[in-house]
Formats: sequence, structure tokens, C-alpha cells
Amino acid sequence: MMDGSDKQRYARYTTVDSSVQGSVITRLYEVNWLLFALVFLIGGIGVTMIFAATDGQWDAGAFQHFQRLILGGGIMLFVALVNIRIWYFLAYPIYLGAVLLLGAVDFFGVEVNGSVRWLDLGFMRLQPSEIMKLAIVLALARYYHDLPGWRVSRASGLFGALLLIGLPMQFIFRQPDLGTTILLVATGFAIVFLAGINWRVIVAGAFGAAIAIPIFYRFGLKDYQRARINTMFSPESDPMGASYHIIQSKIALGSGGVSGKGFMQGTQRSGDYVPENTTDFIFTVIGEEFGLIGGVGTIAIYGVLIAFCLYLSFQVKHIFSRLLILGVTTTFSLYVFINLAMVMGLIPVVGVPLPLISYGGTVILTVMTGFGLILSSHLFRNAELPKGQN
Amino acid sequence: MKPRDNEERIDPKTVTRRTILMAAGGIGAMGVLTARLYYLQVTKAEDYTVLSDRNRFNFNIIVPERGRILDRNGEALAVNRQEYRVLLIPEQVKDVEIALNDLNAVVPLSDATRARVKKDVRRKARFIPVLIEDHLDWNSFAAINLHAPDLPGIIPDVGQGRAYPNNGIFSHILGYVGTAGPKDVEADPDPLLRQPAFRIGKTGVEAAVETRLRGKSGKLKVEVNAFGRIVREWPNASDAPTPGEDVSLTIDADLQRYAAELFEEESGGSVVIDVMTGELRTLLSMPTFDGNLFVSGLTQLDMDALNSDWKRPQFNKVLRGGYPPASTYKMVVMLAALKEGIISTSERVFCTGKTQLGSRTFHCWRRQGHGAMNMRDALKYSCDVYFYELANRMGIQPIHDMAAKLGFGQTFDVGIKGQIAGINPNGAWKERRLGDGWRTGDSYNASIGQGFVVTTPLQLAVMTARIANGRRAITPHFIIDDEVPGFKPLDIDPNHLQFVRDAMWSVCQEPGGTAFRSNGSGIPGVDMAGKTGTGQVRSISKAERLSGVMSNAQLEWELRDHSLFVAYAPYAAPRFAVATIVEHGGSGSGLAATISRALIKRVLERDGMQARASDNSTTSQL
Repeated sequence: MMDGSDKQRYARYTTVDSSVQGSVITRLYEVNWLLFALVFLIGGIGVTMIFAATDGQWDAGAFQHFQRLILGGGIMLFVALVNIRIWYFLAYPIYLGAVLLLGAVDFFGVEVNGSVRWLDLGFMRLQPSEIMKLAIVLALARYYHDLPGWRVSRASGLFGALLLIGLPMQFIFRQPDLGTTILLVATGFAIVFLAGINWRVIVAGAFGAAIAIPIFYRFGLKDYQRARINTMFSPESDPMGASYHIIQSKIALGSGGVSGKGFMQGTQRSGDYVPENTTDFIFTVIGEEFGLIGGVGTIAIYGVLIAFCLYLSFQVKHIFSRLLILGVTTTFSLYVFINLAMVMGLIPVVGVPLPLISYGGTVILTVMTGFGLILSSHLFRNAELPKGQN
Repeated sequence: MKPRDNEERIDPKTVTRRTILMAAGGIGAMGVLTARLYYLQVTKAEDYTVLSDRNRFNFNIIVPERGRILDRNGEALAVNRQEYRVLLIPEQVKDVEIALNDLNAVVPLSDATRARVKKDVRRKARFIPVLIEDHLDWNSFAAINLHAPDLPGIIPDVGQGRAYPNNGIFSHILGYVGTAGPKDVEADPDPLLRQPAFRIGKTGVEAAVETRLRGKSGKLKVEVNAFGRIVREWPNASDAPTPGEDVSLTIDADLQRYAAELFEEESGGSVVIDVMTGELRTLLSMPTFDGNLFVSGLTQLDMDALNSDWKRPQFNKVLRGGYPPASTYKMVVMLAALKEGIISTSERVFCTGKTQLGSRTFHCWRRQGHGAMNMRDALKYSCDVYFYELANRMGIQPIHDMAAKLGFGQTFDVGIKGQIAGINPNGAWKERRLGDGWRTGDSYNASIGQGFVVTTPLQLAVMTARIANGRRAITPHFIIDDEVPGFKPLDIDPNHLQFVRDAMWSVCQEPGGTAFRSNGSGIPGVDMAGKTGTGQVRSISKAERLSGVMSNAQLEWELRDHSLFVAYAPYAAPRFAVATIVEHGGSGSGLAATISRALIKRVLERDGMQARASDNSTTSQL
């Protein structure tokens, strides 16, 4: 026999929004197409710039990038249409699965360029660290959704979060993949911050880092990683070596001037001076061919996309959904900032691509999956998650 | 851990607040990025544009064509020849080993070559051509071209290399070229030296006039990508190279070839000099070596062969060979005696075949002796005892001084390096070098051109030329340039010189003279004057003297005497002098004289010699 409070409780579980119960068509209609369009706009810039960077060949990357955008778009849509509740329930399982895959890389991984990051499944290659980037956001979002507010700044609350972050970090750092490790840790901490951790804890943490980082630098990093950091401070002292990349990148950018040399007119590009200019360093092509205008414009478009995601986050009630949106957005923003800072010589070369514009396989798919999760969060913003919300 | 419904969740407002904070941070980051971009693209734009251009263009050095070396008639002695080579471009080849195997079927490759090619492929960038083999003959080159479609990545190529026609007859003069070594690069900072295709003169004329032969390098503007590979050439923006200057020598190639023929298998050398100008028409050291070997790269086999040949082909005997001049030195002693006035031309000395000095006996080459000799006869019959007497009377110093005037004990600036000064001995010299006092016996030996006296064939030629010229102390040279040498006056009494000349004439033209042949110079109406020399190489023991001195024919080659001869012609109006040595050739009247006579005849003929009326002539023809 249900009393009033039970009914209330039950009511929370049973009251659903029309957007949730409606058919696929209805959901399609409700999807935030503006976000969709922004993502594809940036993707289109990517296709164009890869086309330019490969000397006008359609088949040397531009087409493949386009194909992946379509595929990613499909995944994005699919993920968006899945109820957020399902993601909520799948958060921890997905996380565990990713950790297991990372463990598998340790044992069965394929070595490429000196690091072991891939699993060879025969028909395709899988990079578990990419999956981990989404999985950790899901896990942390779920964690903080469940956590009572007073625990956030306490050791008990913090411990869980650090465990969630620390576990995959071990695997990824040892691959070795410094770039992804930094990204993961930064995203993790961002979510911890957003969850409302006490300022005192932050300051204490900063102190701890100030002590730990130099120790880490000396003993934790490999030589080439140290070299990369060193060359950041004086790249001109070794122009043909480790810092060649940065110097060439800056030259390519700088030579673009205000309005650039024009589409397909980049000389540094045509001279093969900037290595990886279809992947991590593709921004140099934008800078060289479209100058300051192109560069600032690109930054602006990314800015609009990021701002829009933040706007969407304000419209969402659940902590899980909020943190999910914010986590994905943070990861995405970090990609953009780190890549641009690297290309412009502000930070060492860490091998982070420019999402949606750089040519690559796994990154596009995971990024678009992430946006799918954002869309899902927004679409099902009125759905009820376990433990309810105010 | 799971909170109950009414337990406090994380406050969404907190999240909102924090979100705005992070957004602010993000805007800040974008601001930094934009500022940085502005800095790179606007503030530093000019720097980077220049840098980006500088990366693109390189100037490749073009090696200039080397000047040739010509003889006096314009015949080319050192030339640039098209060289056929075959190269490998690693990036166009799937497997270097297979490519080399395929090529081997067309043109055999040695194991050493293959190993070297593989090593070069590893060391260099993949698009840089690696030399497999150069100095290919035409057939091999044609074969490679024919099979080219089946040999991907194998490129037949035509380049330029230095070649010396004439089989090495001019090798000692010309020298050879090779790649610039560390010393060369240190001495000359021109980046041209570092080009792999550039060859620098190492010895001889090639080295002596290197700057004239070299020319000036050109520059080819090329566009390169980041790996240094040339993607385009810009010939219009390039500088053409200036070819080197051709250098002419005074040497007569035909004459030199003829001289080499005359020598056949013998070892020695010959110098033909113009007595008026000091120009060398021939400067030959036999046997020679093939300079082409040095250009294309000596194999160990070649090297061993050259070094073990006891006729020493690499050794320039006319410039660096020190020999006892033997009787060819007697003119010096005669002039010294005349100057000192220690004997008159008519006074006779009796030669019994030997003379005694203290406990030592000095012998004349003619065991039975010559009988009573005056000065002219002494030279004509080459009597040693007469000259011992001269030495006895004046000592070594006057001989030393006269020898210096005639060019002994010094080197001349012929234009190339590598000459010795020989030894013009006197008391001071012996003290300095051997720490011992001069003895009269040393003077005796010196008076017949043995003992401590050491001369080069070039010096003998110069001596003869100076005697023939009579007025100037001419010096030899063989490279033609704009400078005309002026000669110092020859500080010897002309009357004395005339006497000596007459005595030399009698050697060749009067019966009984040690070089008399029935046809004199070989050219009707043209008389030759000269002197024979038989350079003793070994000392003859008393025992042998008693039992009977062995003749040269009976001796081993190295123990045989050297054969020397000096001469000039025409006697009436001297034009050319010659000095010849045939190592271990036996007596001077033999081979050396034969060769010298033939050379004088030839050089006069080639000079368009018109026979002139002389004391002995009747008709004149060429």
C-alpha cells in the first residue's frame, strides 16, 4: 500500500517528459541541430585544409576525412537519440571496459613509432586511450552525481575521484603517451573543480604540485620528453633537431601575415617543411594560407562551439548530464588550446591533434561521440535520473 | 554511500558558478592564442617571410671547366674528357642488393665496389645519387644504357674528368689532380674545393698553376624542400662558371715523345734546353708512370707495381736525381784552372794511367795512360790524370766557385716544385756536413766529377747552355706566362769560354774524340760540341784492378756505370743544348751520346734549321 510519500517517490520515477517517450521522429526533431551544424562546419574546414595541405589531392586524406565525418555524424546522431538514462547506467561499465582494454594494450598492444597504444583487431585498429577520454568523463559525472555535496571536498569524496583518474593514467602514461595523459588528468581535474571542490583544497593541491612536478620532471619523464620541453625554451639553439618542428611551424604561420598567401599558395606547405601538416600541425596551413584573419576566425568558430555547449549545459538539470556536457566540452577545448599553443610554439610538442580539422581516425569518432553525448544530455534534459534532482 | 532522496546533492548553482569561471579562463586562453598569432603573423611577419624564402632557395656550386695544359705548338697534354659513370639513386630502388646484382650482369662489379656503394647508401639521404663506377669504357656505358629499362634506379651519367693522353710521357711535368684533401681546404677557403666533383692539382704543373687552370665557379639557383631535395632549377637566376685558362708549356710534345722512344726500356732522363731563352723543349724522366691512374684512383696493385719497380718510375730523375757528373764536369775544372792561371793551355802533363797522392793511387780510365796531354787534348780524350794535376795545383775552392757560376749547387725556378740542389762541395761544406777536413784526394775526385760532387741532369743542361751562350747565366723554365725572365750576365772570361767550346767541339767532331762519329751531329753542315761522362757507381777494389777490372757488360745492372752526355749545336751559332743520363748504361759514349745526338738532330730539324756554311760543310740540305 503506497502512502503519499511513496507515491511521490514513485511519481518521480514515473513522470516522464514527452520528449523522452516520443518516437524516434520526435526525438530527431528535438535534437539540437545548431550544434550539429557547428560541428560539421568545423569538420568542413578540416576537409578543405587537408585538401590544401596535400597539394590539391582529393584522395590523399581530404576524402577520407570527409568519410569519417559522415560516419561520425551517424554515430553522433545515434548516441544522441539514446536515452540519457542508459548512458547513466552504462557509465561505470564503459569505464571498466576501457580500463580493461588499456590493460590489454599493455599485453597485446602494437608498437608504432616507439609507443604501444593500439590494439590490432584484424579488421581495424583500436586506440583504447581515446575511448578512455570519454569513459572517464562518464565515470566522473556519474560519480559526482551520486556523491552527496558535503563529501566533495572531503578526503572520502576526493579519493574516489582521484582513483578514477589515477587508474587509467597509469596505463596511458606508460605507453608512453604524455599528451593523452595530460589531457586526461586535466579533464579529470576540471570536472573535480566544476563539482565544487573547496578552494582550500585547490590551494593545497597547487602546493603539492609545485613540489611534485620538478621531481616528476627529473625522474618521471623520458629523455625525449625532457628534450621537447627544453627546446620550447630555446628552440633556435637546435634548429635542425628536436625544435625543428616548432621553428618551421612558426615560420609557416608567420609568413602568412595578415591575410595569408591565398588558398593553395602556401610555400612552406608545398616545401614539406612542416612535418605532420595534415595532422597535428594543420593549423600552420590555415595560418600560412589565410593569415591572421583565417587563424583568428578559426579560433572564433571553435569559441562559438564551446560557448554554445556551455549554454546548453545551463539548460540541463541533472548533475550527471551537466558534468557530462561540461566534461566533454572541457576535453574538446583542451584539444584545441593545447594544439594551437603547440603549433604556435608556446608549449612543447605533445602530439595533440586539432579536433575535427586534423586528419586522423579515432579522434574524430570519439569527439563526435562526445558531442553525441552532449546532444543526448540536452535532448533528454527533462528526463528523470535515479536519485532525482531538485 | 548512496545518498537518500533528501540528502543534499551537489548544488547546480555551484556548478554554474564554476562553469563561468572556467569559461572566463577559456576566454583568457583564446585571448593569449590570438595575441600570439598576431605576434607571429603581424609583428614578426617580415622575419618569417624572409626565413621561409631562405629555406626554399639554395645556390648550388657549379664546378668550372678546368683549363688545359698545352705544349708549345698547342697540342693538348692535359685535357678534360667526358667520363662515363653509373650512379644509383636509393629511393628509386627497391632493394640495393638486387639492383647491384642486376647491374653486375651487364657490367661486372667488384666486391669492394659493392661494399662501398652499400656504405654510401646508408650514409646519405635517399635521393642523393651514389656513384657506383666511373671511368667506364664506351661499351660498358652503352650496355648500361641499353638495359636501362630493366635497371630502375640505376642512372648512367656523363661527367668530366681529367685525362692525360700520351701514356705518361709528360707525367713528371704535368703531375696529376685529385680530390681536395684537408690541407688543400685549409689553405684555400673557396667552397668550390668541397664539391665532390672538383679536382685540385696535386703535383707538377697541375699544382703549380692551379689558380690559372681552375677558373671561377658558377652558381645554380635551385629550389629545395625540407629534405634538401632539388625540386626545381632556376637557370636564369644563376651565374655561369668561368672556365679555367689554358696554360702553355715550352715543351715540344713531339720531341719528348721521340726522346721516350729513344730510351726504350732504359732508365734515365734527358733535358733539351734553348741556350738563348732557357726554354726547355724536353724534360723527360724514364721510365714514366701513367698519370691517368692517379686521376681515376690507384688500385693497390698499381701502387705496389709502381713502388717495387727498381727503375723508380715515379721518381723525376732530371729534377731530383742526384748523380756524379763524371767527366762532364771537366769543363768546370778547365774554366777554373784558366781563371786561376795555374796552367797554360800549351803546358803538357804526362798521363801514365795513374798518379800517386800520398799512399793512395788515383787511376785514369785508360789503364795504359794517354801520354803527354795539353788542355785541349785532355778534354778531347778525357784524361783523368791531367785533371788530377789541375786539382793538385788549385785545390777545391776555385772549382767550387766556377761550378756555382755555371749553375751547380742550386735549384732553379722552373715553375714546379720538387728539385734538388745537388752538392757543390768545398772545405766549408765538408766541415759542416761531415765534420771532417778537406783532403787533396777529395779534390782529385771532384776534378773528374766523382767523390762528393752530386749534380742533376737539369744542372748539366744548364751548364752546357751557359757555356754555349757565353754571355748570360740563363736559367731554365717551361711554363709560358707573361713574365719574360731576364738573365744575369755570365761572369766568365769569353776567351776562356771560347777555348772550352773549341775543346768540346773536338770531342765530337775530331777523330779520337770520345764522342766522335763519322757524321757529327747527323745533320750535314751542322757541328755538335759536347762531352761524355761515365759515372762510376762502385768503387773498384785493388784486387780487381790487379786481376782485371770487369767491363760493364760483365756486371749486374745496378753496379754498371751511369752513361752521361752533354752537348750543344750548332757549334757555329749555338741554339740548343742537351744533357742525357742513362742509368747504369755503361760508358757515356754509348747510349747517352746516341740519344743526345738524335735529340739534337730532331730539335734542329723541327726548328726549321737551315744548314749554314761552316768550317766543314760543302753542301747544305735538310
